[in-house]
Amino acid sequence: MNVLEIKDLTFTYPGAAAPTLNHVDLNIEKGDFIAIVGNNGCGKSTLCKVMNGLIPHFISGEFEGVVLADGVDTQTVEIGDLAKIVGYVYQDFENQIVRPTVLDDASYACMNYAMPDYLERGRQALKNCGLEGKDDEYIWQLSGGQTHLLALAGAVSLEPKVLILDEPIAQLDPRHADLIYGILKDLNERLGKTIIVIEHHTEYIADYCKHVVLLKEGHVEWMLPTREALDKVETLQASNIFPPQVTLAAYRLRDQGKLAHDLVLPSTITAGKEAFKQLAFVEPKIQERKSQGKETSVSFQNISVSYRTVKGEPKKIYEQMNLDLHKGEKIALIGSNGAGKSTMMKLMTGLVKPNEGEIYLKGLPVHNTKPEQLSKHVSMVYQNPEDMFIKDSIEADIAYAMQVRNVADWQEKTADLLERFRLTNLKDRDGRLLSGGQMRRASLAIGVALRPEILLLDEPTANLDIATRKEIMKTLKDMEDVTDTVMIATHDMQLVSEWAERIIVLYQGRVVADGSRNEIFGNKEVVEKVGIRPPEIFTMGKVLHEDAFCYTVDEFLQSFV
Amino acid sequence: MEKTMKKLSENILDKLSLDFLRNQVLKNAYGNDDTVIAKLDPRVLIAWYLFFGLVPWFSSDVIFLAGCFMLVVVTTMLARVAGLVLFLFILGVFSQTGYLFIVSLFFGGNAETIIPLLVLTLKVATVSLASITVFSGLDPDKLSNGLMWFGCPERLSFSISYAYRMLPMLMEEFQNVLLSYRLRGKAPESDGLIGKVKNLIYQVKIIMQSFYPLMLNTAKRSRTTVEALEMRGYRYAATNKDVKKMKLSSLKVTYDDMMFLAISFLWMAIIAVVMSYI
Repeated sequence: MNVLEIKDLTFTYPGAAAPTLNHVDLNIEKGDFIAIVGNNGCGKSTLCKVMNGLIPHFISGEFEGVVLADGVDTQTVEIGDLAKIVGYVYQDFENQIVRPTVLDDASYACMNYAMPDYLERGRQALKNCGLEGKDDEYIWQLSGGQTHLLALAGAVSLEPKVLILDEPIAQLDPRHADLIYGILKDLNERLGKTIIVIEHHTEYIADYCKHVVLLKEGHVEWMLPTREALDKVETLQASNIFPPQVTLAAYRLRDQGKLAHDLVLPSTITAGKEAFKQLAFVEPKIQERKSQGKETSVSFQNISVSYRTVKGEPKKIYEQMNLDLHKGEKIALIGSNGAGKSTMMKLMTGLVKPNEGEIYLKGLPVHNTKPEQLSKHVSMVYQNPEDMFIKDSIEADIAYAMQVRNVADWQEKTADLLERFRLTNLKDRDGRLLSGGQMRRASLAIGVALRPEILLLDEPTANLDIATRKEIMKTLKDMEDVTDTVMIATHDMQLVSEWAERIIVLYQGRVVADGSRNEIFGNKEVVEKVGIRPPEIFTMGKVLHEDAFCYTVDEFLQSFV
Repeated sequence: MEKTMKKLSENILDKLSLDFLRNQVLKNAYGNDDTVIAKLDPRVLIAWYLFFGLVPWFSSDVIFLAGCFMLVVVTTMLARVAGLVLFLFILGVFSQTGYLFIVSLFFGGNAETIIPLLVLTLKVATVSLASITVFSGLDPDKLSNGLMWFGCPERLSFSISYAYRMLPMLMEEFQNVLLSYRLRGKAPESDGLIGKVKNLIYQVKIIMQSFYPLMLNTAKRSRTTVEALEMRGYRYAATNKDVKKMKLSSLKVTYDDMMFLAISFLWMAIIAVVMSYI
């Protein structure tokens, strides 16, 4: 039975030249677990908003065709009645939470629809979403992953048949991502909910989804079972979707004739183990990236930091931490949320003062120097690029720091930066109104404007789709001649293994490991304790041979022939 | 000696930091949900406030006012109000009338000049502390429910509790935007008195400028919030009387509330007795 039916749907936003959705036909069966994939701007979010009735009830436009949700024409019923059939979780999910405490928010919709047992429904939804026992906590006490689960619980409380999630794991570390998908799987299997996700992470699609819908230029290209869908490597890549690394490796090996030409491409590690079993391992000549830095550039000496808390004792972030960073290093700072990554960066810029200990930046004592003076040497790009836009155009934003300091030729330098970061044709736009990738590039350009010797980047690839992420990684490589020392705090292990020379692992306020990528990813104890998830292809290599250290598909192909 | 001075100045500087302010505001809004005052029924507290927030204005009896004052001091202590709020209260009262009181004492003022000033100071202090007890001791969400019971429009009470949810996020974002200004801007040299004044003006200026990006960021967020509210039945609830009833059914007058009123009443009765004897 179809829980959602879309018949010949065409939708055009007011004022748009071309329709965003163009003759879409799609039937979704009850109990399915579907991933919708496609290019940026191919209409994925619009399609989802059609399913839950926000279009055409709340967002107007030219609407043609029929959408049936559980047999009901979405045009004939109120949006509130549709919410009881189709639940929706936004990509910026924290903005859909409107109440101060957890149970309050989970039961909010039920209360608004005058269901007498609203609290009970809220509690049940929290239980189903793994938030049991957090009823009275404040929203801001939750971690990012928990906030997402709460947004989900808010939708689940109305007991809809279908749940739609727009990029559920874009902002989360791997542990939380697993948690979210585990819960979706449970909702799908145990409660029979139909789940629809918009997802870029094909590893997760391979592990959890039953069908994949490819959307291209506003119409449905195909809908296939996951296995077959991921096999269409060329079609996916043409739409900027990157199949799992294991699939890519197998695809290229099959192309080279090293694997049977009728092989169904593996998409998970387990399937890969079977598919690659005949390959021989050769010790490859992959050069180990290692930091060569000698001259100390930043030195942390016996640093202790604690934060004020709203209630009770201050929270300790660091205790007696010692660390030296050297000139010219490319450092990745990893560790779960709350391990102190951002704090370390803020210490260097002088924004957070240590309770004890001293920091020297190029020999300059940070505690006696004003942040304004330090900013000549060190610059930080926030995780949330919106907080960097303080002027009304990105050109003015990039120029600002140079302008107030009367840097010679600041006009030319600004023009150079705009060109370098491919922003020249966007220079008059407000940073906030750019797309995710453009916003990121603009924030990087602002960060390097003063040519700091030390550049700190907080999660530069969070919230980006994989194509945009690759673009940012390219930008990072391009920037090498501008800055000496770069430090990136991130959860993105592909970025870490392709870029970093030195990896510092933080765990509960201490540096628990510090070394090259082989030293870190090869250290089982640390990987397990901290919950590091190496790139999939690395794990695949390790499963096949314990001496394998391959971080990219290319390296994998050199190691296994 | 030098060391203690340094410590002291560091301590004072710390109190002026944005981080400290943020912490105090949060403490005030969220940090005291387990006090005696916070557990009371909001309707009882609002009724209580109607007495202690209004009656002192119309009385000029020193004993009566002093009695009220003592009571609200106790309730303020019970509400565990954040230090910053109390500091602002003391500063406020002093700058209004308190300094006159002290000045007149110095210049040999007699009872005739002092008493009217004392009365005025007590009035202002009592009403302020009563307000602090209610508005700061009660969590905003409860307060908005209480106001709704008294017939305030649904929109007002939603705004209060929504602000309550957004506050920590907005403050953090504000801090970040301000830091962007600080890091990328260039503060004037703060040597000498003129330099210090210039620096201060600069700091105030960037604080004001930081509001613009903050507002734009908030506007961007609100797009999702508005759609989500629509789906979550906000508009539906606003027109449905049953929903209001359900919301308010969580309010309950308990034994503690009666005790609170009884003790307040008893105390005022004692004061009345004392007044009639003197």
